[in-house]
Amino acid sequence: MRRAFTSLVGAVIEAWQELRVHRTRVLLSLIGVAVAVCSLTTVVALGGIVQQANQELSERQSGRPASLFVSAYSNQGTAIDSATMDATWAETLARYDITYGSRVMQTAQAVPFTTGVVDVQTQAVDQPYGEMHRVRLTEGQWFTDEDAAGLAPSLIVNQIFWERLGSPELRTHPTVELGAQGGRPGTTAVIVGVYPVGSYETEPAMFMLADQLSAMTAARPSAVVQDPYGGGGSTRYEMWVPPAISDQLMEVVKRDFSSALATPGGGTGGIQVDVYRQDYAQYGDDPFLVTKLVVGGIAVLVLLLGALGLVNIALVTVKQRVREIGIRRSFGATAGRVFFAVMMESVVATIAAGAVGVIAAVLLVQNPWTKDLIGQGLVSDFPPFPAEAALLGLVAATAVGALAGLLPALVAVRVKVIDAIRY
Amino acid sequence: MSLLELRDVTRTVIPPDQPALTILNGVDLTVESGDRISIVGRSGSGKSTLLNLLGLLDMPTSGLLTFDDRPVKSYSSAARDRVRGAQIGFVFQQFNLLPGRTALENVAMPLLYAEGRSFWRRKKLAADMLEEVGLGNRMESMPDRLSGGEQQRVAIARSLVRGPRLILADEPTGALDLDTGSSVMQLIDDVATRTGAALVTITHDPAIAARARDHFRLDRGVLTRAESAELAAESGAVS
Repeated sequence: MRRAFTSLVGAVIEAWQELRVHRTRVLLSLIGVAVAVCSLTTVVALGGIVQQANQELSERQSGRPASLFVSAYSNQGTAIDSATMDATWAETLARYDITYGSRVMQTAQAVPFTTGVVDVQTQAVDQPYGEMHRVRLTEGQWFTDEDAAGLAPSLIVNQIFWERLGSPELRTHPTVELGAQGGRPGTTAVIVGVYPVGSYETEPAMFMLADQLSAMTAARPSAVVQDPYGGGGSTRYEMWVPPAISDQLMEVVKRDFSSALATPGGGTGGIQVDVYRQDYAQYGDDPFLVTKLVVGGIAVLVLLLGALGLVNIALVTVKQRVREIGIRRSFGATAGRVFFAVMMESVVATIAAGAVGVIAAVLLVQNPWTKDLIGQGLVSDFPPFPAEAALLGLVAATAVGALAGLLPALVAVRVKVIDAIRY
Repeated sequence: MSLLELRDVTRTVIPPDQPALTILNGVDLTVESGDRISIVGRSGSGKSTLLNLLGLLDMPTSGLLTFDDRPVKSYSSAARDRVRGAQIGFVFQQFNLLPGRTALENVAMPLLYAEGRSFWRRKKLAADMLEEVGLGNRMESMPDRLSGGEQQRVAIARSLVRGPRLILADEPTGALDLDTGSSVMQLIDDVATRTGAALVTITHDPAIAARARDHFRLDRGVLTRAESAELAAESGAVS
């Protein structure tokens, strides 16, 4: 035991002396490893950010896991009373204590801009929708209770809409007239927030609260125009629930809706109720597997290149150190000790280089410029630097050190002592 | 009890695509504690191979090699390395100091393979040994800042720092001028006498060989005892 301990300490001292004496060579080889580890860690970390961006994009479009959608239609083609649907929806949310539920209606509202009246695509939603779909605002805030209670409808408009108005300060409570036609005044609505647009969006769009749309429509049926994008008509009912209970909830919500919409005689009267999931995680498979595999593949390639460089340098170095190894052997260094010392030298050096590489990767990934470049304004919850990426970087550095040290260490123990000394 | 003994030792190598080559043939040699032995031989006579065997760096093809009356074949490879580190000290012709390390670090190097107090007090032991060879004032000097004689003194200190019972000197004065070589040999002799270690000097220089008490000649792999007068005569002819 004592021998093993002194051997270990001795090997570390030898490795340290070797690193100190050959610091230029070590530094050069370590730069390669540090760059490789930095690249690996950066690629993995950026992969995490890209994955988060994809995830958030998916969640904006089809909700977070698990998002359940409820729809009902009549087999006879008759319309289902929207008031009954709304009431059943409200009862269901209350019965199962579901906090995040929203109706979603696609309509269009005529909005006068300086360039003329434009039918603006409008999504009428309930308050929880903003959280459910990660709606990120660049100005103002999402609908509050105060907005919901206001007499004038509140609007959250997109950047294009806001810029067409001349980018007014929201604290001045800018307003627009909805549905103003032929000299008749429309409904005055207040803009309370602005959300960013993707590069593919070119038209103004907005959110408003579903209850305020209903109230406005009831008061001025002519105010609502046909959605030019084809989204008009039916209301979508959407809830965000824990994935673990989503299957169970789908069954009971379907049962409750079917029961509520049943005809007085007791039958469903040809009304079909569907409750389904549409979020990206609905099939259980990892939807980002391809992204992960691609990122992982690139990372492994980068690391292999770094390792090859290190092995190359390490082998050349050992060839140059044959005499020294022979001298050490003649003074009692066992083959195991020489093997361990050469390995240790490589591992100690690469761990240090790996730490430097990981720190560089953190600085690279976490700076605002990179975040802007990668996130492209799509990421609201920027993930912290992934610990697994940092850990992977260090483990990879250690593994590369051990691998790169293995060949030279094997060469080292095969050195013929006297030949090496007389070499 | 003999320290090192070779009985009818043969060492054969088989070069690729060539018949077996006998490097050492029927070598008999006994080394006792405190012996002073010199082995002279021309280049290619088998001196290096014999040095390998004496230093437990190689094994004989046939015959018996014992250390402390124990057949070396019975030692494991690691055990042989440990015995070599603890009991045998090498002095080389080219000094073979480790570049980039100070004189102190070079002398302390063999103690990295020791255990217990020797390992933990290696710097102190190395410093004492350097004092003993007269280099107390050059401890922090790098090898390339030392003269040939000083480098060989450091090498001697390194070979003696673990208190070996056998010192193997391979052409120890080959890279030194006559006067320096003489003083280095005197130093090795003195230290070996003080520590009671056996000294085996392998050389092609009859004058150096003549300093020993027992003389051998190695010729084409055969080791024979040589008379002092014979070496002295050769030494005179050389000088």
